[in-house]
Amino acid sequence: MTLQSQTSELLPGFDHAAFDSNAVFRVLLDALSRPGRIYDVPVSVATPDGLNATTTATLLAMADMDTTIWLSPTCVTKAATDHLKFHCGCPISDDVAKADFAVARIDDDLSFITHLSVGNAEYPDQSATLILMVDEISNAPAMKLTGPGIKDSHDLDIKKLPASFHAWRAENHHMFPCGVDVIFASPTKIAALSRTTRIEVI
Amino acid sequence: MEQLANNPADGATAYNFAYLDEQTKRMIRRALLKAVAIPGYQVPFAGREMPMPYGWGTGGVQVTAAVIGPNDTLKVIDQGADDTTNAVSIRQFFAKTANVATTEKTAEASIIQTRHRIPEKELREDQVLVYQVPIPEPLRFLEPRETETRKMHALEEYGLMHVKLYEDIARHGHIATTYAYPVMVDDRYVMDPSPTPKFDNPKMNNMAALQLFGAGREKRIYALPPYTKVKSLDFEDHPFEVQTWKDECGMCGAHDSYLDEVILDDQGNRMFVCSDTDYCAERQEAGHRGPQHHDQPLGNASREKAAE
Ligand SMILES: [Zn+2]
Repeated sequence: MTLQSQTSELLPGFDHAAFDSNAVFRVLLDALSRPGRIYDVPVSVATPDGLNATTTATLLAMADMDTTIWLSPTCVTKAATDHLKFHCGCPISDDVAKADFAVARIDDDLSFITHLSVGNAEYPDQSATLILMVDEISNAPAMKLTGPGIKDSHDLDIKKLPASFHAWRAENHHMFPCGVDVIFASPTKIAALSRTTRIEVI
Repeated sequence: MEQLANNPADGATAYNFAYLDEQTKRMIRRALLKAVAIPGYQVPFAGREMPMPYGWGTGGVQVTAAVIGPNDTLKVIDQGADDTTNAVSIRQFFAKTANVATTEKTAEASIIQTRHRIPEKELREDQVLVYQVPIPEPLRFLEPRETETRKMHALEEYGLMHVKLYEDIARHGHIATTYAYPVMVDDRYVMDPSPTPKFDNPKMNNMAALQLFGAGREKRIYALPPYTKVKSLDFEDHPFEVQTWKDECGMCGAHDSYLDEVILDDQGNRMFVCSDTDYCAERQEAGHRGPQHHDQPLGNASREKAAE
């Protein structure tokens, strides 16, 4: 297999690695610093089957050989794994407990989330980040969020978010400083929940 | 590796945008995302050698390098001043390696890197404050072993810290610590606010801007998301108090800013002046005058007063 034949089947990554990575990271930094605020992702990228554009941009910006990715059964297409392996060089594991970034769709069976790494009391940063691909993010008052990063409260609505997610999230919040941070990724926007975020379901 | 440089036209220069390679910036960026998710907790990161000595703020420089983009405007202060050697060289470093705009005006900056002070002007949501931290571990003077301080943080074992502060009270009648005065973040982690004077501690509480801390030698990153509760440690019978000055700023007459003492001659004459040079200059431009300002009375404000 020559490099040329491999590259010809692949979709391109960022147009401009340094600037696009920085722009996507700044949006992620803002989103995790201000849970529940909704941000446009300012970079357009080619999207392989199995992923959406904002998830692809997030992984291109943040993943590399030092991060293990887990993709849910509906996301783990050949196009997605080829794309990530080539552009990020990241290992892709089928063991969800090993994931630094776990990617799933909102209508997937979400029972895997209880197996995500939450870090440990001395190193709570050794935890997974869940990227949940969703259809629509809005600030309709479905959830009222409070906590660090939020001045009074932020309203957030994630279309089709199941009750089981809230049950897991409530437990996750009590594990602080351990816990999983969540990035909701719609086709064009992202919003995040930090492990510190308190959620009141309205 | 060549296929990774996406755009051959500008790939070569962009690859080392802001000095650090993309992989190093990604690693620092991942640490930053964890740091904002766990306010006050020190995230270890694989720090890189920077082309400047450790005392020059390599931790802050690495954080700024990971955060800064081509549209940012950078301000760098050492103490409160933009014109010290350290501040000037860091500003020039990013002007050269990232080709970003720089400023001395707090209001114009999107990223402010600091060694000691928090600007007097209230920071906004669209600004990021990056601290250069020499010693990130607030418990280090009590316990030299990292494995032990990590356990203490994990178990919220902060009793010794309070004992040390209380010893100050027993010895001096008040808490004598005036710099790097420890804070409790969101009721969970005790954090060292870096060598800022305790005068600035209250500004950290519920700040609208994101605050990021980088320690180069110890390779730690920590953060305060906006609107996070930051409380200086104290006791019911000895509440936290900031420094106050009897004098006003000799140049701008400010009563509310952190003042540096300046010795004027060998006759013992001295004056006090704002440590935040931008704040002082802005006040002078607005017509405020202190007792040592040579062109006093000047400015519309004083003239109008004289006319009354
Ligand atoms: Zn002044």
